[in-house]
Amino acid sequence: MFDTILYGLTIGAILYLFSIGLSITFGTMHIINFAHGMIYAIGVYLFISLLPLLWGSFPLSLVAAVAVMLPLAYLVERFVIRRLYGDGIDYAIIATYAILLIGTDLIKLVWGSGPKPVSDPIGIPIQIFGTTVQTYRVVVFLCAVAVFVALRVFFSRHVIGKIVVAALKDRDGVRSLGLDVNKYFSIVFVIGSGLAVMGGVLYAPITVAEPYMGFHVLLLAFAVVIVGGMGNLTGTFFSALGLGQVIALTGRFYPAGADTMVFVVMTLVLLKDPIAELLRRLVGKHGIGNFS
Amino acid sequence: MISAQGLTKRFGSQTAVDQVNLKFVEGQASGIIGPNGSGKSTLFNMLTGHLPPSVGKIEFGGLDITALPPHERVGMGMARTFQLVSVFDSMTVWENLVLSTGRFADRGSGHRQFFFGPARSKTILENCLGALERVGLQDKAGARTSELSYGDKRMLEIGIALSLKPKLLLLDEPLAGLSDHEIGDVVDLLHEMKQNCTLVIIEHKISKIMDLIERLSVLNDGVLICEGDPEAVLNDPGVRECYWGKQVSNAKG
Repeated sequence: MFDTILYGLTIGAILYLFSIGLSITFGTMHIINFAHGMIYAIGVYLFISLLPLLWGSFPLSLVAAVAVMLPLAYLVERFVIRRLYGDGIDYAIIATYAILLIGTDLIKLVWGSGPKPVSDPIGIPIQIFGTTVQTYRVVVFLCAVAVFVALRVFFSRHVIGKIVVAALKDRDGVRSLGLDVNKYFSIVFVIGSGLAVMGGVLYAPITVAEPYMGFHVLLLAFAVVIVGGMGNLTGTFFSALGLGQVIALTGRFYPAGADTMVFVVMTLVLLKDPIAELLRRLVGKHGIGNFS
Repeated sequence: MISAQGLTKRFGSQTAVDQVNLKFVEGQASGIIGPNGSGKSTLFNMLTGHLPPSVGKIEFGGLDITALPPHERVGMGMARTFQLVSVFDSMTVWENLVLSTGRFADRGSGHRQFFFGPARSKTILENCLGALERVGLQDKAGARTSELSYGDKRMLEIGIALSLKPKLLLLDEPLAGLSDHEIGDVVDLLHEMKQNCTLVIIEHKISKIMDLIERLSVLNDGVLICEGDPEAVLNDPGVRECYWGKQVSNAKG
């Protein structure tokens, strides 16, 4: 059972790293950014190509892949996303989805369409609570926790973080302070993209790299962002870990339903107000506490 | 100081502001009135850069600023407050003020401030403290903004605008939602600010600011229908008509 929970924590960690950028983009710019999946997938393939060039060092290749992807993410933000700001959500979906498709075909063109395995960089199992588990998975989870703590500090102590948090609530108010909001959104967009690459690379040894990996993670991440609250970074963390458990536990008993269950949970969250209302009516006004 | 020529804003088929020509003179305080939905806030949003005009030109201090984003206009000396008070509830009063110092970092003036806490630059510190004292919130610097009364929040918002050292301050209904006592405080503060700042005020409670303003403009359905001396404007039959309807205005006049 513990290995299932750990698997859930690992999946949750990956989902968290990927979803941060999505959540921030939605919260700040009200744009659903499908191109996030492109950054994620290309980042992983780049990592695979860099690995032999950098003496097979996993951490070094991870840092290099992130470093190469950051300028690309900036270009996507500067020349596609920012131009679409305020033009309505549909244009943004079409444009960023196009970027995702282009990225996917680029991967097939450069790296081929077959799956590419990445070997576990640690490979040594350890004993926790009497169960033998892969050390790597524990490390992945700890990485996500470290990112969570670092982001908490960044958004509560750093001027840039403070400004972004303020702009999430009141964009026009921040602009009236004489601050170029777009610049700060660019910065967090690039940070979010870097974390997505990190998540993709960390996930690669657990699964395999394949051209459509960006699509798969995007769907799950949308559920994470919706459950956690758009633009809510703490909510995203706990919703990612929670949905990771949903995937792991469902997968243990009914593997085919693992992903579906995520969307069942998401639907329940979206319906929580009507359901609470229904229950209230069924049980009567005083029979039940505050659901929502 | 600031002028608009042929300023127009259309939302789809709706014209919110229609070919408005305005000029606010340096050192004067001006009022803008008009029924709800007459385009006052839209006009403000175009002057501050929050909304791009459909047609028209805006000049500030002799420069064409029509295409400039809001933050650059702030850098030129233009500040504003909002109809619904706009402060950041998640932060303390002091942090609200210091947030604007990110702007100084923007300019690379050497006063780059990375972390909150003791403000490193003395000028920024004094500037923020001065603004806080002027709005009378120095005792509440450490308080969470969400705990302030609405009147104090309005004062804080004006304080933030003051810390930007504006030459021109645009206030969108600064007295809305305040008690009579708080209105007195804000009006006193406006009188004081007028000494070294050009003011433009949207306000329904026009009687409270009649002593303050030298000029009054009236918008109706997006059109500037009257402007000039406040007393004269209020007695203008066209203005009375747009507020009280034709018959009443005939009966009275």
